[in-house]
Amino acid sequence: MNGGPALVSIMRQGSTLIASVHTALDDSELVRFEHDLIHQIGEHRSRGVIIDVAALDVIDSFAALTLRRIAEMARLRGALTVLVGIQPEVAFTMVRLGMGTGQVPTALDLEEGLALLAAHPGAGTDSTERDARPGSTP
Amino acid sequence: MDERPEEHPQTRALHESHWADHGGGEHLLSQLVAHLREHRTRLQEEWSQRIQQAHLLTAMTPQEMAAETTSVYDNYVEVLETGNVEALQHYARDLSERIIPRGVETHEVVGIVLLLRDVLARSLFEKYQRDFSRLNEVLDAYEPAANRIANTVAVSFVDERERIIRQQQDAIRELSTPVLPVRERLLILPIIGVLDSERARQLTEQLLSGIRKHRAKVVVIDITGSPDVDEAVANHLVQTVDASRLMGASVIITGLSPKIAQTLVTIGVDLSKMNTIGDLQGGLEEAERLLGYTVTRKEGSTSS
Amino acid sequence: MVRRIVHARVGSHPSAEDLVQETLTRVLAASATIEPGMLEPYAIVTARNVVASMWRDADRRRRNQHRVVDLSTPDLPDSQVVLDEEQSAMATALARLGERERRTLLEHEVSGTDTHTLAARAGSTAGAVAAQLNRTRARLRVEYVLAAEQAELPTDQCRAVLIALSGGDQRRQREVRAAQHLLECELCARLSEPLLERGQQRDDRLRIPVTADPDIVSARRAARELASRLDFAATDLTVIATAVSEVCRNIVRFAGTGEVVVELLEVPRRGIQVVARDGGPGIPDIDRALDDGFSTYGGLGLGLPGVRRLMDEFAIASEPGHGTTVTMTKWERTHDG
Repeated sequence: MNGGPALVSIMRQGSTLIASVHTALDDSELVRFEHDLIHQIGEHRSRGVIIDVAALDVIDSFAALTLRRIAEMARLRGALTVLVGIQPEVAFTMVRLGMGTGQVPTALDLEEGLALLAAHPGAGTDSTERDARPGSTP
Repeated sequence: MDERPEEHPQTRALHESHWADHGGGEHLLSQLVAHLREHRTRLQEEWSQRIQQAHLLTAMTPQEMAAETTSVYDNYVEVLETGNVEALQHYARDLSERIIPRGVETHEVVGIVLLLRDVLARSLFEKYQRDFSRLNEVLDAYEPAANRIANTVAVSFVDERERIIRQQQDAIRELSTPVLPVRERLLILPIIGVLDSERARQLTEQLLSGIRKHRAKVVVIDITGSPDVDEAVANHLVQTVDASRLMGASVIITGLSPKIAQTLVTIGVDLSKMNTIGDLQGGLEEAERLLGYTVTRKEGSTSS
Repeated sequence: MVRRIVHARVGSHPSAEDLVQETLTRVLAASATIEPGMLEPYAIVTARNVVASMWRDADRRRRNQHRVVDLSTPDLPDSQVVLDEEQSAMATALARLGERERRTLLEHEVSGTDTHTLAARAGSTAGAVAAQLNRTRARLRVEYVLAAEQAELPTDQCRAVLIALSGGDQRRQREVRAAQHLLECELCARLSEPLLERGQQRDDRLRIPVTADPDIVSARRAARELASRLDFAATDLTVIATAVSEVCRNIVRFAGTGEVVVELLEVPRRGIQVVARDGGPGIPDIDRALDDGFSTYGGLGLGLPGVRRLMDEFAIASEPGHGTTVTMTKWERTHDG
């Protein structure tokens, strides 16, 4: 993935991180994305994270698992993650496959995702959660 | 045709396999093409007259007829010359697309192409009648090509017709499971009649693309009109709810009969996780509540 | 004539007779649509296809028996020798091409220069360059087979025939009387086999080696692309791609190396079949692997059971120590269904 066009871009907007996946990612690229994003959440002390997966034509078990794991790690760091842009065919296939997004909230697209975060102004600021976070930082 | 043989690698292959078996075939064909170009106006007119006599294409106006016969004629000659059947297929499909809605039948299309074949064959007959062996050669070169053209046009027409019929069937099927946008961000999906797995699947696909198209946040699935829901369909219903949620829409199910509720429980669906409400009216009220809640919060947040 | 071709390739007498009958049936069925002059070569090609499909069937049987083995060949000690031989055959073949032909081909295949650029440079058209490249490839294939087999061609006609066959150029094939020649020249009949096979297989069947993460993505992409040639709904394309993704991951995770063969089916109806096989450790308890909730790679046990739900047909065979084969099919939906 080095040298080519970026596979994923992560932008910061206030206390929110917006990660857009631009193309199909293989497993190791997904894992790298996971690490990058978690790192940046810690670095910027983000409160909200939006992952835009509209460009993914397949979300298989590993991708779904990774996205859930990101959301869970983000939660432990005090950020609420919203998954946006799941395509109709992908949504159907994920469900048939038996993969949901667990407790991760979803929204139609970026705009809806931002609205959803805004509707939870305290997203991820819950102090008990932050205290419960493991002491080690990246 | 050998002058620039590299121009179209694919069509060249077609050409060779169809037309070039006879040693001098290429030369004859080019003579033939020249002849058909030279007498274009006369031959085309003769053809149009034959079409009228045979009462074909009666659904078209004389102007349309003239326009179509001209382009069919030119395409026909061009295919004879180049052997490029693909271009002809393309044209035949376009033509079919235009004339099928006007009620032109398969026999008419086949008829006019065969008439053209005969008109042209007759003119070749006239031209070469003194030289019988030459005539034979010319016809040997012409006939397989002409038959192939007739065949191509007929097949393209039938294909196109089938495609249109399929499209209409799809449209009818869509009507039978309508996704109704009642108001901004709200869809209603009334399920009427017996649901089998195939219909349930189509319904899900329509609902999911409907969610994206209408940017729906809430969907009300009303199954009052569906008496029987078996286990497979019940499973499907649950999957539809989950998939809608993945796209960011909440689903409210209304009209759930005790029997269907029983089926859902039997297959292990946790009804407390599904938003079920007795009747459609109640479902719509709940939907508005959900939407109203969202809208208020959104308005409140626009300044940030 | 047909009998002769078939006999030459199939040892056992009864099966040869069966194949002859099958060939003749196919030829007769098609004779209405074939120009008279083409009947003979058609019969020959059909005979070859029938023979080839018999081998394929045999291959399929072997697959079902579950001895997935060919995959381990790259690790054999003599594989390097084979590789060297292949490379030197290719080098010889390239050397036998004309200077200009070779340069154009290499520039296109190796450096990736597109036909438009090449055409602009040569003052020609992209189509002409593409056709020229096709002819060069056809020649290269012939020269490669000759070099690899270290074959001496007995007649002057041989090379011309092989090139015409390799390029799929039917007019040329008639000109050089390719069909007749194949009957007379045993060597060409043998050499032409790989050349003809290539033409048959290119279209509706894909074989994708799977060894690393990126292969998962390319395999599912290729499967989707192939499937999109049929009349699949968008959802089904995603379903197929996802299923391929899952089985490929199992190969990468558990076996390390394997392959996926994606094939369009016409009978019993239109659909797409995916065969994923590996020579890995195998699955000790298949029932358990197909049970929702069981997982070997952390967290979610949704690989195989999920895939089974996605596809219309699903079969898995596995032998500990020998590998696993998953065969799965998605049928095109009938429109009135």
